[in-house]
Amino acid sequence: MCVGLEQVLGGVGSVITFTDGLPMGQSIFEFLFKYRPVVFERGDFTFLAPWTGLVVALVLVVLAVPTVFQYLRVKGKSSFSDRLILSGFRATVLGLVLFSLFRPILVLSTVVPQRNFVGVLLDDTQSMRIADADGAPRGQFITDEFSPGTDNLLSALSERFLVRVFRFSSSTGRAEDASELSFAGGRSDVAQALDHARQQLSSVPLAGLVLVSDGADNSYKSIDETILALQAGSIPVHTIGLGQRTYDKDIELTRVETPRRVLNGTSLAVDLMVMNRGFAGRTVALQVEDAGRIVNTQDVTLGGDGEAVPVRVIFTVTEPGPRVFKFIIPEQAGELVAENNVQQALIVVEDRRQKVLYFEGEPRHELAFIQRAVKEDKNLQLVTLIRTADNKFWRGGISDPDELIAGFPTTREELFTYQGLVLGSIEASYFTYDQLRMISDFVSERGGGLLILGGRQGFAEGGYSGTPVEDVLPVVLKDPVDPEFFTSVSLEITPAGNRHPVTQLGVDPEHITPWGDLPPVTVINPISDIKPGATTLLRGTGGRGADQVVLAAHRFGRGNAMALTVHDSWIWQMSAEVPLEDQTHETFWSQMLRWLVSGVADRVEAFPSADRVPPGEAVELVAEVEDESYLRVNNTDVEVTVRSPSGDETVTNMEWTIDRDGEYRASFVPTEAGLYEIRVSAVTDGERVESKVSYVESTDLTREYYESEMRASLLERVSEETGGGFYSAADAQNLVEDIQYTDSGTTVVEERDLWDMPVIFLLVLMLMSTEWGYRRFRGLV
Amino acid sequence: MRFLSAAPRLVFTLIAGFMADGGAASSNGTANSVPQHGSTFKITAPATSIAGGDLFVDLADKEPPTLKRPGSVHEFYFTRAIYGSGLASRWTPSWATDYPKADLQFLIGLKRLTNVDAYDFENAIELDDPTLRRFPFLYALEVGYMGLTDAEVNGLSNYLLAGGFLMIDDFWGTWQWQNFEMEMQRVLPGMPIVDLPMDHPIFSMFYNIDEIVQVPNVGLGKAGGPTWEYDGYHPAVRGIFGDDGRLLVAINWNTDLGDAWEWADDPFYPLAFSTYAYEMGINIILYAMTH
Repeated sequence: MCVGLEQVLGGVGSVITFTDGLPMGQSIFEFLFKYRPVVFERGDFTFLAPWTGLVVALVLVVLAVPTVFQYLRVKGKSSFSDRLILSGFRATVLGLVLFSLFRPILVLSTVVPQRNFVGVLLDDTQSMRIADADGAPRGQFITDEFSPGTDNLLSALSERFLVRVFRFSSSTGRAEDASELSFAGGRSDVAQALDHARQQLSSVPLAGLVLVSDGADNSYKSIDETILALQAGSIPVHTIGLGQRTYDKDIELTRVETPRRVLNGTSLAVDLMVMNRGFAGRTVALQVEDAGRIVNTQDVTLGGDGEAVPVRVIFTVTEPGPRVFKFIIPEQAGELVAENNVQQALIVVEDRRQKVLYFEGEPRHELAFIQRAVKEDKNLQLVTLIRTADNKFWRGGISDPDELIAGFPTTREELFTYQGLVLGSIEASYFTYDQLRMISDFVSERGGGLLILGGRQGFAEGGYSGTPVEDVLPVVLKDPVDPEFFTSVSLEITPAGNRHPVTQLGVDPEHITPWGDLPPVTVINPISDIKPGATTLLRGTGGRGADQVVLAAHRFGRGNAMALTVHDSWIWQMSAEVPLEDQTHETFWSQMLRWLVSGVADRVEAFPSADRVPPGEAVELVAEVEDESYLRVNNTDVEVTVRSPSGDETVTNMEWTIDRDGEYRASFVPTEAGLYEIRVSAVTDGERVESKVSYVESTDLTREYYESEMRASLLERVSEETGGGFYSAADAQNLVEDIQYTDSGTTVVEERDLWDMPVIFLLVLMLMSTEWGYRRFRGLV
Repeated sequence: MRFLSAAPRLVFTLIAGFMADGGAASSNGTANSVPQHGSTFKITAPATSIAGGDLFVDLADKEPPTLKRPGSVHEFYFTRAIYGSGLASRWTPSWATDYPKADLQFLIGLKRLTNVDAYDFENAIELDDPTLRRFPFLYALEVGYMGLTDAEVNGLSNYLLAGGFLMIDDFWGTWQWQNFEMEMQRVLPGMPIVDLPMDHPIFSMFYNIDEIVQVPNVGLGKAGGPTWEYDGYHPAVRGIFGDDGRLLVAINWNTDLGDAWEWADDPFYPLAFSTYAYEMGINIILYAMTH
């Protein structure tokens, strides 16, 4: 007759005990039931009396039958219902007495004193400096309770266990006690800490682990496997949560998203997420700094309490090189954490020219106006090839006299020297099938940007249906329309367009016309649908037929493809409705061509795992190597040169990963603060090709101040799924007793009597008093 | 040239309204319609119009698109500037010299020799008409008599600064130059007129042109005599560049490309002059569309 009492009382215990901030509930429970809830949770309930259930039943019948018989015989003043109620009271009392006489006990395992180990993991990160524990820093609890002393958790644990203390941040190490902690770690990695402690204590009898942390893990690793390993080892993890679950007042820039590389002069649209507590609806200033120089300031209206709202800030990068941009919301009065009002991003501003090939099948004003729009852009080289007559071409912007001498490129090597490709009004039948395939590969394999313009010979009207180029397009081609067809449409920007770097024109509002106010443009290629996964950025309304997809984009393989379906965007520059000083056309085309070539890979590319790391944290490097045709090159000679801020250079061979074509890996650990330069060189096509310079900033990060409210959900999950308990700082002293009830380590079986629980005596007393009172009430005595 | 070509032009002018608009045109001349950016067209300008001589019966039969019969949209319109001043004869304003036969005949050559998707018909617009800004190429001639109103100055100035291109033709001698130069200073103040060197791309855009040819008017050309008028002995191709280095205006001085286009079909008009005129005209148009 042994049942898991935790199934019966566990729920009650949880309600009473585990509701944070209710120690009174625990005391009442312990008073009534003699033991703390954890004892009931861990123990198995049984009766110590040697009688079997059948004997018990017989005794009950023997006792009950004469009692009932006697009650039925007595003919007093009492009614039948009185006798029924009084019988109930008396039977219950009898049951309780019998319950006690059968000696109910709890059987549970407890550790043998000083024969078991307990691992204590102490959070040694910067978030322990946050002073949200009644004005004291979180780390104060650790210092108080786990430093050498006689009246703290460490000493209490040491009386019963062999305690091993670990300190953890991004890595984990042994410590004698909390006095060795500095609370300077830049990252919390709870999973790694638990794994480390479990492995270190795997050869000793382990009663459990105690994790003392705010749970603000920012390693962003899954903890699932760690929990599975702990469950497999039957290792309970008891967690002590530090800090506030929610702050009263705080503003946090939770995230910033920037490209790693941009061309100099690019107008950057950077997205940030801003969260607040206690400042709902307030308008605050957000400023952008480039090496201490403010490059933009704008007002931001905060969302509701606890709500993260997206904010877009636009600024122009003007200084080439690796730049650390800082996004700041000044500290507001009453804020608990000021460090999380800042986000930083390392952006490499490239001052090099990217080549875009623009091929037109006929002379068009569109070409002239696009050329003029980007003429002043020193980072774009627009190479134009125009078929001025049958088999007669005009070339513009070429780098050398032989460039495009035979017309449109016929080899991958020739075409892939460009980063972007614009196809104007040129019929598909002009190209060979190989050239059409090559254009598709230019996007999908080389990672180039393709833009298709509207025109007499564009899209379906140009015969692109069924060709490899159709696959690249973000729009759906239908049957070609009558060559005489044309209509005019007014523009309308879509929500996606408002966020896209091509159509977001808000850099210089005084000289920019909103899309909806621009003069109508002409459409001769009616297109109303986009492909799945594509995005419509501009829509045309008011024309004949369905709304026109004016500008749409999507990702295709490694590259980007965009369709601009109007045939006279030069109207935005030339029209009498547009002021002379207006820069909408220039801005649009500059952003368009820059977007086309942004992120286009070179033959050798290096990708660090992080842009900014604290000193001592390893940086993984991945390099991709391609030949002149942009086909992946395996098992070639690849080396990486890492130059430290002090100028020391380290050359390391990179190993082919085997599982991915053309991918090579290596790692390094920055030890100095500052910018590390990374150059990868590889032998391909018989020559050594060098990558662009990548950068990693080694600096003390303040990641610990972000999302730094106590993450109780993580701590509770770890303790619950491993059989441990979750404690707040206030009730952490209970841990010392609770931790001894475990099946782990060296244990003995203990029996805990329940017959003398005060609750039984009180119940008997209450029932008898009630019976007597009832008799008085009914006049039976 | 004006006087020599005035007589036949007069005849054409008289019949122009009937030829171009089915006889419905007012005394203002042809209802010269071009597709606008929309599903409707607008009558853009009154103009004297010529539908062609005997050799251009086909052209005459091609009626320009009207409000009732809109045509398709094209990449290029040979647009002629209408300015209110100057007379080429008692009946013909200066801007309409050789109009529209020269335009139509040149368009035939342009379409046959290049890939330019050109509108088949003439397209004349006043300088102060906002619609002008929908046609980035503009042709003006006989500018020696030009006297622009303030509205025309403003319209042309904005047109050029917004991205338009102006081709000037058929004016001769010193005083006509001075008049033109004075007017252009009103349009583009402070922007000098400079000679275009022979290595300028405009001379090699489509045809390689090694020499600037003085194209005479039809009378002098057929007579085989001197090619100059007044004191315009030496032809020149000059230009006005904008602040951004863009060529805004290409000026053909002491030469008459328009007459060579107009009379290219005349067996007595020297082929060399027509050839040069077509080459130069095509080069200028392609340059404007690609730079």
